[in-house]
Amino acid sequence: ISLTLLFSSCRNLLARKQNARLDKQNDLGWKLFGKVPLRENAQKDSKKIQKEYEDKTGRPSKPPSPKQNVRKNLDFEPLSTTALILEDRPANLPAKPAEEAQKHRQQYEEMVVQAKKRELKEAQRRKKQLEERCKVEESIGNAVLTWNNEILPNWETMWCSRKVRDLWWQGIPPSVRGKVWSLAIGNELNITHELFDICLARAKEKWRSLSTGGSEVESEDAGFSAADREASLELIKLDISRTFPNLCIFQQGGPYHDMLHSILGAYTCYRPDVGYVQGMSFIAAVLILNLDTADAFIAFSNLLNKPCQMAFFRVDHGLMLTYFAAFEVFFEENLPKLFAHFKKNNLTPDIYLIDWIFTLYSKSLPLDLACRVWDVFCRDGEEFLFRTALGILKLFEDILTKMDFIHMAQFLTRLPEDLPAEELFASIATIQMQSRNKKWAQVLTALQKDSREMEKGSPSLRH
Amino acid sequence: MAKQYDVLFRLLLIGDSGVGKTCLLCRFTDNEFHSSHISTIGVDFKMKTIEVDGIKVRIQIWDTAGQERYQTITKQYYRRAQGIFLVYDISSERSYQHIMKWVSDVDEYAPEGVQKILIGNKADEEQKRQVGREQGQQLAKEYGMDFYETSACTNLNIKESFTRLTELVLQAHRKELEGLRTRASNELALAELEEEEGKPDGPANSSKTCWC
Repeated sequence: ISLTLLFSSCRNLLARKQNARLDKQNDLGWKLFGKVPLRENAQKDSKKIQKEYEDKTGRPSKPPSPKQNVRKNLDFEPLSTTALILEDRPANLPAKPAEEAQKHRQQYEEMVVQAKKRELKEAQRRKKQLEERCKVEESIGNAVLTWNNEILPNWETMWCSRKVRDLWWQGIPPSVRGKVWSLAIGNELNITHELFDICLARAKEKWRSLSTGGSEVESEDAGFSAADREASLELIKLDISRTFPNLCIFQQGGPYHDMLHSILGAYTCYRPDVGYVQGMSFIAAVLILNLDTADAFIAFSNLLNKPCQMAFFRVDHGLMLTYFAAFEVFFEENLPKLFAHFKKNNLTPDIYLIDWIFTLYSKSLPLDLACRVWDVFCRDGEEFLFRTALGILKLFEDILTKMDFIHMAQFLTRLPEDLPAEELFASIATIQMQSRNKKWAQVLTALQKDSREMEKGSPSLRH
Repeated sequence: MAKQYDVLFRLLLIGDSGVGKTCLLCRFTDNEFHSSHISTIGVDFKMKTIEVDGIKVRIQIWDTAGQERYQTITKQYYRRAQGIFLVYDISSERSYQHIMKWVSDVDEYAPEGVQKILIGNKADEEQKRQVGREQGQQLAKEYGMDFYETSACTNLNIKESFTRLTELVLQAHRKELEGLRTRASNELALAELEEEEGKPDGPANSSKTCWC
């Protein structure tokens, strides 16, 4: 499902509409000048200019195809010069002196030249934009072919090659995204579609028994009271309606509501020891947008089983603090000035990292950008989540250093909606995930060892 | 440049998931209400400057995630607060029952002189009501708290409850404020004084020179 494509094309359409509206306004403005802006006239003139433009750019002016015609009309219809018509004075008034008429003619011609220049420039800009769009679409098309024909059939041997890694960084095309994510996340837990069906059936059983009021049914998950389970199931219901509410596809009656409900419900039966934790609904939702229900469940369970995700979703506070500490090592290394500013303002990483890590950026970044972060997260693992955080901090370093605690906290928990993808990835690319020759995993392990020893040595020191 | 505020402090919103903490806050700071809000993960922040008795007070409000699992994290924020809203939903008996647990957490983790206020939200949902108004009042009395029934949807008692908690915090910090008044020029950041909170001076109980 290429929801992201849908988004971007909607956005383009909107932009085009706005342009058209703008042009129309220009048009109106000019109409005040010329007294008789005849419509047919306008059409003719626009065609003429179009021809001139084509002659200049050296393109043969072959008759446009109907489709082209539509586009051309859209692009060229509201031309400003067409409303500029120099007329002689009406017959009932004395004629202009020759000198004045000459001057006016000159002025008129200058205006027309200027306007034509502007239009030419505008046309060129649009042409370039169109070409760029085509180029992007073409490169996506090529990438799809490469992924489908070359990489996916030879996954085991190819996935870690330089070429694939580079292509991967550019973003996985939406049509193959789900497949690549599934392969990259893997299925260490060996979950089958049958197992998903079993878990789902159990979840449905529980929902039924809850809704009929018979909550005193067999309690095989010892230690989890009926009330707890009920609370957790109700929370899932509540949270589904609060997952990407602006997309209106996961809410009651929306097309993906039942899928999301099924995955979260099945997971609580599959892992009663973890249960449902807020933030999971966002992860499941992003997977649903790219995979079938059962495959989304497999990816979901395996993703949550990774050490970083387990630490967070089980709220293992000590381990979370270790992750934050490791993050701070690389923070200080990469952005010493901002790091000092954060320290001075008592802005600890938990304040912004919790939301980012729990939802894998799907709540805080625009969805298409979050998917690109997921792409590389699937390639590089947990390290990339923290690298992305540093990329975001670096991108906004100048703004952040001028803010106090509350403004920074507000900014980081609500990132700008128009965060530019290319700039963010360029920023992430400059982040070094090496600290004194130590890689992320090494730093993390060392800190883990430290905290374990501290725990053993003097538990009272911990607060 | 004119001073933006005289006093700065932090308020915290806690209570079960879905009782409407974020909605209360959005109504108060932005005067907005959305029936379908995005879940809060971890903690969210808002800020507003209000004037109480001629003092410009800038309040930072920390809006926390309600799920029990998150409490290990959110408890860490209690000690940074000067005032706490305990919120339940009048259409959810369970959220009301849980207030006791929330209070005991506050007692354990929040600083000594922290001010608390009890909120029964969603007062507009009369037909779904499970918790009577007097039950709320009773509980608040037990714990020595003020009580409001609010509705973010109809904008009932929102400003009143935020203002009230602000007043309570101001009263609890009269001593520091006296200092502010005589020095007149400097702003007071209670939020930054949190580390000194435990010092012996404690709440001023006999000072009758209250100027507010």
